[in-house]
Amino acid sequence: MKKRGFGIGCMSYGIGNTGLPNPAGAFVDFLDDGTVIVLTGCADIGQGSSTILAQIAAETLGVAFEDVVVVAGDTGVTPDAGATSASRQTYISGNAVFEAARKARQEVIAGAAAVLGVPPEEINLKNGRVWHGEEPTSLSIKEVISKCRSEGILTLGHGWFNPATTRLDPATGQGIPYATYAFATQVAEVEVDTETGIVEVKRIVAAHDVGRAINPQNVEGQIESGCSMGIGYALLEEVVVKEGEIQNPAFSTYLMPTAMDVPEVYPIIVEELEPTGPYGAKGVGEPALVPTAAAITNAVADALGLRFYDLPLTPERVVAEIKKSREKKEDDGQ
Amino acid sequence: MIEKNIVGQSVPKVDAFGKVTGQTRYAADLDIAGALHLKVLRSKVAHGLVKKIDTSRALKIPGVTAVFTHADIPGSNSYGIIVKDQPVLTNKVRFKGDAIALVAAEEESIAVKALDAIAVEIEELPPLFDIQAAMAAGAPAIHDNGNVLTVTKIKRGNVEAALDQAAAVVSRRYTTQRVEHGYIETEAGIAYMENDMLIIKAGTQNPHYDRRDAARVLGLPINKVRVIQTATGGGFGGKLDISVQCFLGLAALKLGRPVKIVYDRQESFVATAKRHPFIVDYTSVAAADGRLLAVKARIFGDTGAYASYGPATLTRAAVHATGPYEVPNVDLEAFCVYTNNSFSGAMRGFGTPQIAFVFESQMDLLARELKMSPLEIRRRNVLRPGSITATGQELTSSVGIAKTLEAAWARALEVMPGLGGDCR
Repeated sequence: MKKRGFGIGCMSYGIGNTGLPNPAGAFVDFLDDGTVIVLTGCADIGQGSSTILAQIAAETLGVAFEDVVVVAGDTGVTPDAGATSASRQTYISGNAVFEAARKARQEVIAGAAAVLGVPPEEINLKNGRVWHGEEPTSLSIKEVISKCRSEGILTLGHGWFNPATTRLDPATGQGIPYATYAFATQVAEVEVDTETGIVEVKRIVAAHDVGRAINPQNVEGQIESGCSMGIGYALLEEVVVKEGEIQNPAFSTYLMPTAMDVPEVYPIIVEELEPTGPYGAKGVGEPALVPTAAAITNAVADALGLRFYDLPLTPERVVAEIKKSREKKEDDGQ
Repeated sequence: MIEKNIVGQSVPKVDAFGKVTGQTRYAADLDIAGALHLKVLRSKVAHGLVKKIDTSRALKIPGVTAVFTHADIPGSNSYGIIVKDQPVLTNKVRFKGDAIALVAAEEESIAVKALDAIAVEIEELPPLFDIQAAMAAGAPAIHDNGNVLTVTKIKRGNVEAALDQAAAVVSRRYTTQRVEHGYIETEAGIAYMENDMLIIKAGTQNPHYDRRDAARVLGLPINKVRVIQTATGGGFGGKLDISVQCFLGLAALKLGRPVKIVYDRQESFVATAKRHPFIVDYTSVAAADGRLLAVKARIFGDTGAYASYGPATLTRAAVHATGPYEVPNVDLEAFCVYTNNSFSGAMRGFGTPQIAFVFESQMDLLARELKMSPLEIRRRNVLRPGSITATGQELTSSVGIAKTLEAAWARALEVMPGLGGDCR
């Protein structure tokens, strides 16, 4: 028999290292053809940080995204940005790049203000041009940088950011472990085959508060990938160890979800802006996965009226629990 | 007011084109003329003292350039992001997979052959494969300071007093499994000397940390080691630790020749961190209206042979043990425990997927006890601006949990036809 069930999983996730300083630095060099180099220690491991940091730099400097090159993760030339972990790089390296770009921007604005003879606070940079208030001027950013260089002024910026945290008291754990938190709710629908014990995830709705989504498609990609990883965690994956030896050190015996196991995921981006984040951003890397197994196991409990206290919910385990519960019912004379 | 027109736009990722067209070169794709190939001899014994390593037969194999052991480490033979407890090449093995010797050879196949020709004498010690055995009084110490590496405590209010006002109390034990990250790209890298500068190129999540510990192990000033991150095919926390970096640095520095190493999938499974398996004893206390009054939890994480990110994982699990809910009284303790299993470290979420499985199961159990829907009990408890967390932090802004709950539920009602009504 196939039974359907629905489950909710909620979570909060502190962005950055727990109760410890974890700063990131960045350099921005605004070049005389109007292009930009960002130097950051932030390792892009496929999650998209170099893209996000380029967007933050481009936005801040008023140039096209395509005009920004991010050089990342080379200790010979880039400043320390800490680890790509703890869902911290958009918030922390994002702030470092924002600060570095802001300083380079100030140099350009000062140069433009001198040319135009207006106060710097009335000047903006946008689309490669200098704007006076709401109006574009005839002056390009490129021209201003060339002028700065001719006067011996380099349009460079260095920025760093360390989230405002405090160490946790060793006896009571009281303190401020994180400067900001991401939040999420996922709802999973499952179908459980009571004969085979196979749990099929039919749909997942995943609503994530990430602060400002710097790149919404990338946020959705993170959410969808997190859900697929969560399906593996809930239902399939287990490193089997016997006497300290891993029994399944291969993808033929260590089962992970494939495209056949991952259903439609409905991502929802909730943007509760973080005042201390770059353009209000927080993070999403880990939160994407955190509540998925919880939502799935709650959905299985809903489907079967049986709760599982041990992960993963393999078919063997599901069948064994169903059998145990039937036997118990018979013993109770039901 | 300038329109924010790049932030908020779904521009294509800067690395997308190279990856989808197959042009991106990962560490294993990097070839360097004259490079020696490295292989690691790993322990088949879980716990023991290395008494003797005889490399003489291996060194006689044509094409074998060098075999390194713990005696060859020029600096401090220990690394680790939080605790420096992991040797590059060890004289005490702590898990099946611990690195004992490093071979450099002209061909990869010769290096593999040399591994079989190294004779290692190990005096076995009693192994500890579970947390209870490792925590027991009188258990053999895997590291000098005993087997309980860290204990994180979070205490607030009075849990016992809260029990007096309870309408529902749910206590359960949960367990979670050990998990592999399963990134597509296994660990790999190359290294070479550029004058007196050591260059290490490897897939990593943490190049500046890699530089610090490579310099420490090799006895070099930090500015004489340059770590360059290669295009990295996933990490999920598993590439935060040192894996190949110190092996590469040691061989390149000692031999003055370029070197290369690539883990196969089996070595990647055996030699690198896993997600911590947890045992959690958890008690939730709620009032008749569903409001959480207290949470007590004891969390045990098996960090295996080495600390890696274990202390951070257990601390984060404790800090997040009450979930996105306001709980006035908490008594939380998390134990990070050494065993002779393969080591556990960072993996996407740092202990929070484990603890979310626990606290969210508990929320549903409480809801059932109180004859309330899972949705409603969450609505009544979620953090809001002004809420105080388990660590006593007042949340002032950007607290979107209630919005995600309502948004997810509304969308679920649209796309999940079977869902509906307050009974859920």
